[in-house]
Order: sequence, then C-alpha cells, then structure tokens
Amino acid sequence: MIMLIIGELFVLCGIHVNSTCFLMELREFNNQVHPPPDYPSPHGSQHSLRLRTVPAQDTNANQFDWASPAEDAEDSNEPRNLRELPLHMGLKKAVWQVQQMRVPVVSSSWNIKQSQTFRRFCEVVKYILSYFVLWKRGIQRIGGHFGGGVQSYFLFLRFLVILNFLSSLLIAAFVLIPSIVFRSMNLNSTIAPTVNLTDEEICLQYDPKPGVLPVFYTYFLDLVSGTGFMEYSYLFYGYYNNSVIESNSFSYNIPLAYLLTAAFYFLFCLICTIIRMGDTARLVVVTGGGAVGGYSMLVFTGWDHGLQGNRATKLKQNNLRHRLQVDLEEERLKKKSASLTLGQTVSLYTLRVFLNLVVLILIGATFYGIAKATQFSQSMNPTGFMGLLLQYLPSMVITASNFVVPLLCDKIALLEKYSPSTTVILALLRAVFLRLVSLGVLLYTLWEQITCKGDISNENCKPCHYYYDQYKCWETRVGQEMYKLTLFDFLITIATLILVEFPRRIVVDHCSCKLTQLVGRQEFLVAPNVLALVYSQTVVWTGALFCPLLPFINTIKFILFYYCKKITLFQNCQPATRNFRSTTSNFFFLLVLLFGWALSSVVLLYSVAKIHPSYGCGPFRLNSAMWDVVPGAVKMLNHTSEEFLFYIGSQKFSIPLFIFSCVLLCYVSALTSVHGKSVTLLKSQCKLEQRDKQFLVRQIEELNAKVQKEQREPQQPQRETKPLNHTATQWNQHYNYAFEPDEEPRPY
Amino acid sequence: MGGTSSKLPKDLLSEYQELTFLTKQEILMAHKIFSELQDRENGPYSSRVSMEKVLTLPELKSNPFRKRICHVFSTSDMKDGSLSFEDFLDLLSAFSDSATLEIKSHYAFRIFDFDDDGTLDARDLEKLVNSLTGETDDTRLTAEEMRQLISNILEESDIDKDGTVNLSEFQHVISRSPDFVSSFKIVL
Repeated sequence: MIMLIIGELFVLCGIHVNSTCFLMELREFNNQVHPPPDYPSPHGSQHSLRLRTVPAQDTNANQFDWASPAEDAEDSNEPRNLRELPLHMGLKKAVWQVQQMRVPVVSSSWNIKQSQTFRRFCEVVKYILSYFVLWKRGIQRIGGHFGGGVQSYFLFLRFLVILNFLSSLLIAAFVLIPSIVFRSMNLNSTIAPTVNLTDEEICLQYDPKPGVLPVFYTYFLDLVSGTGFMEYSYLFYGYYNNSVIESNSFSYNIPLAYLLTAAFYFLFCLICTIIRMGDTARLVVVTGGGAVGGYSMLVFTGWDHGLQGNRATKLKQNNLRHRLQVDLEEERLKKKSASLTLGQTVSLYTLRVFLNLVVLILIGATFYGIAKATQFSQSMNPTGFMGLLLQYLPSMVITASNFVVPLLCDKIALLEKYSPSTTVILALLRAVFLRLVSLGVLLYTLWEQITCKGDISNENCKPCHYYYDQYKCWETRVGQEMYKLTLFDFLITIATLILVEFPRRIVVDHCSCKLTQLVGRQEFLVAPNVLALVYSQTVVWTGALFCPLLPFINTIKFILFYYCKKITLFQNCQPATRNFRSTTSNFFFLLVLLFGWALSSVVLLYSVAKIHPSYGCGPFRLNSAMWDVVPGAVKMLNHTSEEFLFYIGSQKFSIPLFIFSCVLLCYVSALTSVHGKSVTLLKSQCKLEQRDKQFLVRQIEELNAKVQKEQREPQQPQRETKPLNHTATQWNQHYNYAFEPDEEPRPY
Repeated sequence: MGGTSSKLPKDLLSEYQELTFLTKQEILMAHKIFSELQDRENGPYSSRVSMEKVLTLPELKSNPFRKRICHVFSTSDMKDGSLSFEDFLDLLSAFSDSATLEIKSHYAFRIFDFDDDGTLDARDLEKLVNSLTGETDDTRLTAEEMRQLISNILEESDIDKDGTVNLSEFQHVISRSPDFVSSFKIVL
C-alpha cells in the first residue's frame, strides 16, 4: 500500500513537470512562430522577412534587439509579473508606469493590491524563517568553494540532523518525560498479572546490578559498551516500567505510549523522506533519469557561477575539460567497440560474469565473517579490556569490511571495462548492498541467538519463549548492540580524521617526493560519505525501539560530524576531479535511505508482533507480544470508536482501498504518457514549422532576386549580383528540408 | 574615503522590490557595495561604475564570463560594459535565488552569444567552450575534439537544423537540466 502511494506521488510529479515543460515550450513556440523582429523597427512579420534577404548590407542588423519582445508581452492578455520580463530596469519601470496608469480603470485593482501585499507578506515570512535555517552561511561557503556535489552531502547531513532532533523531541515528550515523572512520583500501579507464572518464575529474574559504586575503569568500560550503570538507565528499554496511571481525570498508559511513539516516529521519518524525495523526483523526471552524454547540457549548464577564487575556478575548468575529453573519448571508443568481433564480445561478457561472481563471493565471505563474529561475541562474557574488544567485535568486522570490500570492488570494476558512468553506479550499488545487508546479517544472527532460531520447542527457549539464560532482557541487549555500532562508527570517523587525513595533508604539503605527489591530497568523495550517513541512520532506526535515547545521541553525533567534516574539508581536501551529478544522486541517496528505513521497519514489525517480550524488564513484561497492549487499549474505548477502528483494520475496508489505489495509479500513469506524447508531437511540429519558414523565405528570396534582376539589369549590372549571390549561396547551403521525408523525432 | 554614503529612498526601494527578484536586504546590500565601488572610482563622480571596477568584486573576479556579463547587463550608450546601479540590480536579480528558470535561461543565452546576433553559431560555441575549459593554450581542447564537440552539440540541440542554436532551442536544453538554476547563482 505504501509502495502504491509512493508510486502515485512520483507519477503526479511527472505530470506536473511535463505540463510545465509543455506550457513553456508552447509559449516559446508562439514567440517563434511570430518571428521576433530582428531589427529595431518592430513592424509586422512581412517586413522582417523582407529585410532578412539583405543581411549583409545593414550593419546595424547584427545587433539583436532584445528590447522588442516587450511589445509581444504587452499585447498578451494576462498581466505578466514584471520581474519575469527579461528587460533592463529602465524599460521595466516604463512598463510599470503604464500598468499603474491602467490600473484605476480596471476594476480588479483591489485584487492586484491584495496580491502585492500578500507577496510582500510572504517575503517577510521567508526572511524571518531564513534566520532559523541551520548552518546556511556555512553550507553556502562550502558550495562556493567545492561545488554542488559536496554541498549536497552537507545538505543531506543537515536534513538528518533536523529529522533526528525532531524525533528525539517526540520521544522525549511522550515516553521519557512521563516515565521520569511517574518514577519520581513513585506511582507504580501496574496491571495485575493475569497469567499463571509458576513455570515462568525463572524468567522474571533480571538483576542488572544498579547502584553499585563502580571503579573508574569499569565506569569507562560501561559507558562505552552500555553495560553496568548504563544498562539500567533511561537509555535502554529495560528501565521503563509498565505503569498505567489512572487518576481522577488523567490517564496515561506507558506501554501504549511507548509503542505508539515508536510507530509514529517511523511514520514521521518516512513522510519527511518522501517529501524530500518529491522535490528531487520532479527534477529527475524532467531529465528522464539523468542524460548521459548530453554534451549540450554539459556545455550550457556546466559552469557554476557561485564559485569564487582562482583556485576553485581553475579546478572547475580542469574538471569540465576532463569530463568533455572523457565523454568524447568514450564516444570514439563506443564507435570502435561497436565493431568488436563475436569472439571479443563473448570473452568480455564471460570476464564480466566471472568478476561479478568474485564480487559476490567476497560479499558472501563478509557476511559469514560478521555472523561468526556476532555469535562469538554474544556467547562469551569476559570482563575487562578483552571483554570490551570482544563486545565490539561485530562493529569492527562490519567497519573493516565496509572499508576493504568497496576498495576491492573498485579495482575489480576497472577490469570490467564498463563506461565510466556505469562503473560509478555499479560501485554505489555494490557498496549499498554491502552496508545494508551486513547490518541485516548482524540482526539475523542476533535473532537466531535470542529465539533459538525461531524454534520454541528448543529446551533453552522453552519456558520463556526466548533464550532466558543468556538474554535476561533481550531488548536491552539488542539496544546495546545498536548503541555500540553508533558509538564505534563515530569513534572510527574521528580517528580517521585525526590519524589519517591530517597527517596525509602534512606529508603531502611538506614532502615533495614523487610518491606523495602521486597520492596527493585527500579528495572528499561524496558517495562513500553519504552511504556512511545512511548506514548510521539505519542503525538508529533499528535501535530506536530498544534504546529510546538513540535519536538524541545521533543528533549530537551528526552535529559533531558536520563541524569535523567541514574542518577536514577546508584544511585537508581538494575538490573532486570527477564531477558529481548532484540531483540524480540526491534522489538515489534518499532512495537508499528509504531502503534502510524498510529494513529497520521489518525489524520493528517483527519484534513487536512475533517475539515474546522479556518477563523481567521493560514496559511490555506481562504481555505475550508487544502488540497486545493495543487491542487491550482499544477495548477500553467507547463502542463507536472501537467499531470504527475494527472496521478500518478489517478486510472490508483495506481491499476496496487497495483496488481504488490501483485504479488511481493507472489513471495517473496514463495521463503522464499522454502528456509525453503531446510533447513529442509539439517538437516535431516545431521542426516542421521551421522547415516551412525556410522554404518560404527561400522562395521569396528567389522571387526577389528575379524582380531585382529585371529592374536593375539595364542600370547596374555588376553591383547587385554579388550580395545576392552571397545570400543565395548562404541559403543554398541549407538544404531544403521541406521536401525530405520526416525523420524520427530525436530522442532527448 | 569618499563619504557619499547616501541612503536609498524608500519609494525607490519598494519599486526595486517590485521589479526585481531581490529581497529588501539584498537590495540594501547591493546599494552598499555599489556605493563602495563608486567611491573607489578614479575621476569625477558619475552614476556608472566602469567595468574594471565592477570586475574587482570577488564574486565576479575569477568568473570566465565576467566581461560578457557586464556587457549584457550594461545599458551604457558607449557599450563599454559600465554598470549603473539599476544595471547592477538587474544583474543580481537575474542571478538571485528566486529568479525563474525563464529569466535565467534568457540571460544565460545572451551571455553565451558572444557576437550578439541573437543565435549561438559555431563560433560562439567555440568561444564558449574555450571559456569553460580555460583560455591558455595547454588547457584548450584540440581542434579535432572541438570539431567533434561542436557537431555533437548542434546535433543534439539544433532542432530546426539551421546550424545555430536559437533562444527556444537553448531553453529547451536548459529545461532538462536539474542543476542549472542552482549553478546560475551569484549571492553577495
């Protein structure tokens, strides 16, 4: 259902875009059909056609008069917004004065004044809101010096910071603060246990040793691994009580609040991501998914006018030249490779299949390594420094693989001989797959351990439906794993900064041997950095149910990331030589974020619905599944609300809704294809009009030549023929396309 | 220092807000910077700032299209690229955050039209590519590459096959680019 809604959103954006392009083309087409006067005399079209026949004689004619479109604009019925007229200020003022004089006559003057005041109000509001935009100046400066690609990373980071901050406010308001309040007021009214707990008494044992005064050394270990004093605190699930407060006019059900807050948090993140995707999706639909080899697009839109400073300009020029040369080279190679023999093609494809297998084996080996590391670290319980290392073993394996495997994949991709653009996309896809699935493998291994591979009849899991011996409070353990992953990720980033990037810059700047010049300064690679952000965010989403303060920790982590990355960018990095298509990649990164969200929502749904909550801890300790608080709460509502909720959840409602969504999707995609077809039709019409115009001009020119020849032949036989010949040859150079069969509209 | 710290009258300010895409703060900032440029002019006070002085602004100093930008926005009769304050506002308005795609593409076309004849022909395109890649000999494309590139560009964007790119063909190409609006931006 969610995928349907997402699909409809994209198609709607596509229609909007197509109709805007369609309208813009129509407007421009109209401007072209009544040819804009080429010369300062803005009379009818015939005049300009005639004048066109003798361009060489009139030297003033070379200056195209851009002021003339004003007359066209005046004649049109709709009063255009003055700013959108491409005239200089003097002319705009004149037009404005004319409009002002006309306004009292027209009865809609009040409307115009109202729209003006509304616009002013919007500007004031926008100005005030711009003060609240986080890091606006900093990100602008980054864009100016390093270009749009790097800026998109920081914009993405800012989006995640705001998302995490709002989520932590949400969780604090509905879960954390009520818990603190109720605990401090010592209101411990719990629901009476209705289950006979004679067998399960063993499951109730949970003793995380709170209140013992720890040694400083163990204090630090506990802080970093989430055990000891950290375990039994508001950080983790286990500390929250299943209190249900029902005083005179006020009732608050903590378990229900906990569950609903988690669900709402996920929905909120989904909606924010989709809204942000909607903006970029619109642009992606316009370009048709990123035109590769669009030389005209590169040349016309390639320059970034926001760049400042000689260094940035030179780098951008190098960048553009490099891209143009690479694209031209690619085209030449493509022409050459289209003539590959059968044997060469077959060998190339077998090589590619083999290398893909190698990549899959590498990734498979990584997953195996992660699974083994997780099992090993979960099964041991040593203390001290070794214990800490062992606890961080899964995180270390994941981070190491995330670093090593993409490097190997890059080297392998060089052998595969794809075009450069395909190589980049393939590398990104492989990196994404590696990161998200390795997290999935970790979670799967945990699940295996906790629920004895889902087998309830296993003797370890029999009484409590989970492995009670090792996991007295399994939710807290999962939360601890996510907490460790987040912390480790942060530590590794800071360590890389301090131990790798700064020394590299110092070495490159001061030592001028060939090796250092070859390696050069660090380049800020956008794609791996963004994937790291997506990975951290997925970890936070997965852990939010079990570690409610994790979004807050993540907010602080990302804020520190911003400052650290900015410092390293300006101090250590050079701009990327390979350009980065910011908008299509923005869309891709948000898509990957959505995949991460999907993974963590699977985890959420499974733990809420299927796994038995711990008996000894947490707000759901007496339910057989976390979801059970909801039906219980629904029963306590009044009759009509209960009926309404049951109806919405039943099949009687969801199946018609699904069918209706399918119908809407079909309608909207049909609309898109119709608009696309009209755009193609208009394009070919435009071509035909131009050909007709050329043909007519040629005819007129020939007639003119004949007439002038007849007129002037007795007087000046020499003088007129030269320019006429010149213009005749000029037009003859353009083959008369009106008589050519229609060619296929060029696919753009 | 020149001391002509004249304030912008309120009615002019609201008129400029109406006629450009700039906010009040941006117009005031532009006025301040323009007054500083006027102060630094050698010679008698005039309402126009010469092109050399305008090109000392950090935002324009290293832009390869700086001279073309000044020529396009200048309304001077002597065609020397000098800018009055209103020309300066027009410049900033076209390069501002909220300017529409039509305005930006219109002015981009005029900036790229090096010989001001209303169309981009092969010579304009060659000059354009040279500005993009760098003006020195070792940063230009080779003649062969240039030829291949220009024929590719004309093949892609010249719909009516007259050998030049006119305004609507240019705008058609621009409309398909997602990054144009954000890259055609100069913020003081």
